[in-house]
This record gives sequence, structure tokens and C-alpha cells, in this order.
Amino acid sequence: MRRPSTLTAYAFLYLVFLYLPVLFLPLFSFNSGTIVAFPIKGWTLDWYRKLGEQDTLIQALWNSLGVGTVVALLSTAMGLFAARAFVRYRFRGQRAAEGLVMLPLVIPGIIVASSMLVLFLFIGLKPSLLTVVLGHTFLALPFSVSILKSAFDDFDASLEEASYDLGVGVFDTFRRVTLPVVSPGIVASLLVTFTVSFDEFVLAFFLSGNQPTLPVYIWSQIRFPAKLPNVLALGSILLLSSVLLLVLAEYFRRRSSASGVQ
Amino acid sequence: MGVWVIFRSEASRGYTLSAPATAYVGFLVAAPLLILIAYSFWTQTYVTLDKTRTLKNYSDAFADPLVRHLMLRSIWIAGAVTAVTVALAYPIAYFIAMKARKKTIWLLLITIPFWSSYLLRVFAWKLILGFNGVMNSALLMLGLIDEPLDFLLYNEFAVVLTLAHAWAPFAILPIYVSLQKIDPSLLEAATDLGNSPFQRFMRVTLPLTIPGIIAACLIIFIPTVGDYVTPALVGGSDGKMIANLIQVQFGAANNWPLGATLSLIAMLSVGFVAIVFVITATRLGRRIR
Amino acid sequence: MTEKNIIELRGVEKRYGTFLAASGIDLDLKEGEFFSLLGPSGCGKTTVLRMIAGFQEPTKGTVLIDGQDMDGVPANNRPTNMVFQSYAIFPHLNVGNNVAYGLRGKAPKAEIDQRVAEALEMVELGGLEDRGASELSGGQRQRVALARALIMRPKVLLLDEPLSALDKKLREQMQFEMRNLQQSLGITFVMVTHDQYEAMTMSDRIGVMFNGRLKQVDTPTTLYARPCDQQVASFIGEMNILPAQLLEENGDTLSVDAKAFGQMEIEKNPNVATSARDMNIGIRPEQLEITSEKPEDYPSTVQGKVSNVAFYGENIHYHIQVAETDKPISVSVPNYFHTVDFNRGDAVWLGVQSASVIDLGTDTE
Repeated sequence: MRRPSTLTAYAFLYLVFLYLPVLFLPLFSFNSGTIVAFPIKGWTLDWYRKLGEQDTLIQALWNSLGVGTVVALLSTAMGLFAARAFVRYRFRGQRAAEGLVMLPLVIPGIIVASSMLVLFLFIGLKPSLLTVVLGHTFLALPFSVSILKSAFDDFDASLEEASYDLGVGVFDTFRRVTLPVVSPGIVASLLVTFTVSFDEFVLAFFLSGNQPTLPVYIWSQIRFPAKLPNVLALGSILLLSSVLLLVLAEYFRRRSSASGVQ
Repeated sequence: MGVWVIFRSEASRGYTLSAPATAYVGFLVAAPLLILIAYSFWTQTYVTLDKTRTLKNYSDAFADPLVRHLMLRSIWIAGAVTAVTVALAYPIAYFIAMKARKKTIWLLLITIPFWSSYLLRVFAWKLILGFNGVMNSALLMLGLIDEPLDFLLYNEFAVVLTLAHAWAPFAILPIYVSLQKIDPSLLEAATDLGNSPFQRFMRVTLPLTIPGIIAACLIIFIPTVGDYVTPALVGGSDGKMIANLIQVQFGAANNWPLGATLSLIAMLSVGFVAIVFVITATRLGRRIR
Repeated sequence: MTEKNIIELRGVEKRYGTFLAASGIDLDLKEGEFFSLLGPSGCGKTTVLRMIAGFQEPTKGTVLIDGQDMDGVPANNRPTNMVFQSYAIFPHLNVGNNVAYGLRGKAPKAEIDQRVAEALEMVELGGLEDRGASELSGGQRQRVALARALIMRPKVLLLDEPLSALDKKLREQMQFEMRNLQQSLGITFVMVTHDQYEAMTMSDRIGVMFNGRLKQVDTPTTLYARPCDQQVASFIGEMNILPAQLLEENGDTLSVDAKAFGQMEIEKNPNVATSARDMNIGIRPEQLEITSEKPEDYPSTVQGKVSNVAFYGENIHYHIQVAETDKPISVSVPNYFHTVDFNRGDAVWLGVQSASVIDLGTDTE
């Protein structure tokens, strides 16, 4: 029963297939040669050092951080109320509403991008970081709603009822009972939606105008072979930070499931 | 006192709370759609937008062999990506659901790559498949080939491979969820009634996971038809898809009406194919006894 | 029921690491009998059933079905079929296809359809072939599970707590129906249950298990009257267990001093080992007489006070606190006259015949 089966071998091979391509990015970011090919010429941290010297890059980084933060706050706030409504209450059209909120996940990116661009220009909004925020919030909502829905699912309703029973009002109950218990879920949602925005390219490409976000900046650099190591270094940092943020988010999401049962 | 506030109707509270999210999404789905539809009936000549309603864009699009070609190729590529990804994903979903002991760790490992920037992942494949790229240089260094392989990049193959890699976690999760839901005693009952493990899989496990398979196929197929980044980076001229043509209309060609038309045609085609697929797959699934 | 052994378990053991789910199981089951494995949750009864079915391999010992060693024979090749606790009705198939499942490919379609119709008639679900699995009630699902297993004509039908998901009335009805079905078919039924009344009403013999061990295998009446130790005694029905001192052994009888009831001669229990002076005796609640005055025709009596009254409809239970024991003594009185004679706080007398006192031997733990 203990001998590894073909299925187990397949599973590990699959993981290799999944991770290997991406791991080449960090691998070659330490390469002193400028071509991404074997053999590796030498090891260096130069490319990382040079990142800090580029103003446009730094600016794009700030843009992404700013957009990401706003998107995280907006989508988590809306998602919080919506998730609570979906889990706690029963109302007509609820299923349709839940499905609607998930729509941004399935609409092809190009359609979302082009149609939003058209819409914003129609109402007089030129492409800018603001339009990116609006677009990214649209994309991030399904994530925040589903994370917070599961946080509320695990949250025993009778905790709130006990609070009401003891004479505490609705807002105070929300503040003193609900928020603390679902706060890990809120943190998870903030982290995930931030990452979704931070990593997103297509929508940002269409909607950012003159203020590029980091992925848009990377895109502009891709066609220049000389800038390749630059992109590798930057990309590796981006990868690492996304992974860390998401592992952190998962940790918080788990804590929210655990704490709700108390 | 604050307590009586709870007695306000449950439904109205539900509506109020969920309103911001649903209204936001609803508006950003409906309004752009309506505007796209409006645009598709207008025409653009250089810098002027002519708002007289006409079907010219549609007739141009349908008449243009390039549009048809790209649309069909996009559907074909998306179909190939879906088939490959789902076929590769099923065994691992099965592994995690049935055999793995630390399920949550496996699931986390599977989803982490998905969470990183899509752009970077496509870029990584560009680096791997290139003429002077990782794959070729590794093979050369190991002495397995004399000349770099030139069929790896800038074609349909590269697009399918890259997308199959990018979408892998999307396929695994729905299949995993439907496998998880299977009551283990159903499998024991099948064994008890005389089935071998293979028969049991074909007659009980597979039919019960069809909803998961269909969900996985839709999740991959629909967005892939409209994918822009992968064909742009690794598709070359042979691998261009409909999204690239649409992007050009909104960019260099400055023909937004045509871009809108193409978008709508793409959406309708995808919707049609998706519906046909779901109906066929469900019908086929019901036949299994 | 014939004399032939259809199932033989020899020294069967199932070990998980340091945990023994079942050990030292020696059991012979007769062809055509209705046998129940009874015990509290976690006692190992389901493990034993699954080892017969083939879903678990014993870590020691042999399982023989109809004389054949089942070592290495997978579950799908054994001449047994199982009714699962959750019924395991295939949700993607209708009733007819569920019942026909095991026969597909093994017989021509016409014959399969015929046998399905017969099987459904047998469980009183005739004509429901086209009903969807999700449209069935709990009782109907149970019958479909039965039909699906019986259509395979197994030598042994294994049932894993088949009635536990049903409500009380339905359960009692199904107990009769299943027993009748078993007798008319003549197939051996092996049922696992934690419900002692269920086991007693349906079975020819019962095997009582605790902590992975088979404690006693007997007919229901013998189990009830002559349990082999305290554990079995209190698990089957209700039992008052009282401490006593062994005074003398006189062949078939024991002279004991039951603290509460005084000295008496009781029959020695062959199933039990009485090795020391300190021992226990058991008295069933229904065999105690409760009166307000000292009962004349009962040699052994004790005085006490009613601490609790429970009305069960067909009988009344009184809990009597007596000076000599900590635990109250439970008395059950049939509700003949539809009156509750005693109330809380009343002073009463309890009387018992020595023939009703069971020797429960010495604690061996």
C-alpha cells in the first residue's frame, strides 16, 4: 500500500511542469549574461541593484501600489456587505445576484477591457489610474465576495443573536462581534484583491493611459532585448511578493474559519 | 431600543447590503455592453465617428475572410487548450481528492502559480521556447540536438502549450470539488456489486464528475477564446487570435465601431459554442449506466 | 437454517498501528440464519463485517465463506453483497438502473429487466423502475438498496446498520419485513447494529462485541437471561447490578449475601467465572415487585424511597434509592390499570424471587 503508484508519480511530475517554467525567471535573473539560455555565464546581483535607479520603474511601482490599495479597500468593503447579505439573508433574486457578482471571472479580458474603455470615454473619463481602479475593482469583486462568503459561512449566526439578546444594538454588534470574528477573512480578502490588481495586465494596459502600472511597464520593456535582465529581476520580485502575499492571505483565511466556530 | 431593528424585513436588508456589489458589477457589465452594441452600429472614418445606424460593420466582419479565419482559429485553439488542460488535470484532481493525505497543502501548491502574474508566466514560456531560449540551449548543452529547434515558438503550438500551463489550476479545482462530493460508500457499493476499479471509475466516478468537468471546460474555454497576451507574446503571425485583431481596432487602427462589432461577434460565437457543448456533454453523461 | 457453516472466522484480528479494532474473533455462522453483531459505537462490529465483505483485510486470521479461504479475494469477487448504512443509492441512475447495476453485462437485457421487476416486487416497490434516485423517501431508498443487493443472489447478505437512518415507526415496520424476507428467501443475513432491541427482535443469534472482542454469542433469550458478564448484562436491556459477597458454592447454586436484599441461594451462571468473595448480581427491573407494605410472598426484600418516576406509556419505571447502594434500583411495572401508584418521596418495599437473580460473577478488569 505504501509503494508510490503511477498516479503519485504523475502528481509530482505535474507539479514540476507547473513550477519549472516560472522558476526560470528568478534563475536567470542572477545570470550575468544578457541572454536567457544555458549555460549560465556567472552569478550576479547587478540586475537587482540597477532596478532602483530607474525612475519610470519606481513610478510604475508606486502606481501599482496605490491602485492596488484602493482596489483592495473598495472591493473588500463592497464584498463584505454583499457576502453578509448572501449568507445571512434570503431574498428573491439572490441566486441571480450571486451569479452576477461572479461574472467578471468568466468574461474574456479583451471584452472587459475594450468595453470599459468605450464606456469611460463615453462618459468623459480619460484613461488614467482612476479608470484602472474602477476596472480592477470590477475584476476583484468576485474574489472578495467568495472569500468573505466562506468567512461568514463559518461564522455561527447565534453569536450575533446572543449579542442582540443581551441588548446590544445592530451597529455595535457588528463592531464588537461580527468584525472581530471575520477580520481574518477581511485581511485575506484585502491581500487577495490587492494581488489581483497588482498582477493584472490586460485591463491596465487598456485603461492606464500615461500612468503605467508595473505589469504595463514590464510589457513595454519586453520588446527590448537589452532590457531583458531588468525584466527578469523585476519579474522575480513581483512573483515572490505575490506568492508571499497569497500564502499570508491563505493563513488568514484559515484563521477565519477556525475562529468563527468558537 | 436597537433590538427591534432586526425585525425590519429580511429581504430588504439583503437587498440593501448586496446592492453596492451587485449594482457595481451589473452596471459595469450592462452599460459597456449597451455602448458596445451602440458602437457596433456606428462607423468610423479616420477621426470622425458617424453615428448613423448601419449594419456595415457586421457585413464587413462577416465578409472578411480574416475575421472568420481568426475566429475559427481562436475557437479551435481554445478548444485544444481546454481538452489538453482538462485531460491533464483530471488525474491530478483525482489524486488529490482520493489518494493524497495532505489535501490542503496540495491544493495550495496547485493554486499558487495561478496567483502570480499571468503576464510573467507567458513571458517565461517565451523565454523557454525561443530559438536561443532555455529549452534549446539546454538540449544543445546536453548534446541531444545539433541545431536549435525552430518550431517551438511563434506558432499555434506555443500558444496552446502556454495556455495549457496557465489554466491548469482552473481545471483542477472544479474537478476536485466534484470528486470530493462523491460519497465513498457509492464506490464501495459498486465494488460490492462486482465492478473492477476501472469499471467503477467509468460507471460511477466519471458520470458523477461530469458537472465538474463541464465547469472546468467552460472556465477555460470562454476566457481563452478572447485571450490577448499569449498570442501576442508567443503566437507570432501563425498564432494570432481574434483578441489581437480587436486590440488593433482600439489602438492603431482607431476603428472602435469595428472593434465593438468584433467583440460582440466573438461573445456570441463563444456563447453559442458553450451552450452546444454543455447540452451535448450532459446528454452524453446521462447515457452512462 | 441448516447446520452447514456458511461463514467461519478463525482468530481474525484487525490492527491499525497500536490500535486493535478487532482481535481474537472466532465465529461460525450457519447457512440461513439471521445473525446480528451487536455492540456500542467503536466496538469493532463494522470492522468485522467489512472483513467478511472484503473491504478490509484482516491482519491476522482467516475468513472462510462456504468453506473457501477469502485471503486475497477482493470484495468484488466475493459471494457476499452489502446494504450500506447510507444506502449508497447511485444518484445518477434511476431506481431500475440502480437495482440492475450489478447485473449489467452479465445477462441479456430482457432477463435483467425481468429480474429487476421481481426484485422490486419483493421489496414492495413494484413498478418504480423509472423513479429518480433523488425522489425517494428514506424507507424507499432502504428497499432499493436491499433489492439491488438481493438481485445478485448472494450467499450472504451483509447489512451495516440498515435501519438506523429511519424513524422509530418505520424502523419497527422494516424490522418485521426484513425478518420475513430473510426467512422466505433462506439466505444468511449478517447485520451490524447498536440497537439491542433491533438485534433481539430480528436475530436467530447475536454476537455481542466490546472493544474489539467478541464477548458472547447466543440466542436472544439466552443472552437476556444468562449474560456472561456485567458489560453484556447492562448492554442488553436494563439491568440492576448490585454488589454481593460469595458465601458458599454448592454445585449448581451459590450462596450469596446480596447487601441490599440479604442472603439468598441463586443459580450459578455457566457463562461466568466467579472467583472471589466480592461479586455482582443482576436483577432485571421487570422482575422486582414494588409495594407499599412489606411483600409477603417474596423472601428477599429491601426498603427504600422513590427518587424518580418515568412514565413510558406501556410501563412505568421507578427509581428507588436504598440505603445499601449508591445507585438507585430501577423497577419496571406494566401499566395494567393506567394508574401511577407511587410518587416521588414515597416509602416503598422491593421484593424479588431468587430465581430472578442473575449471577454476574467477579469483575475481571
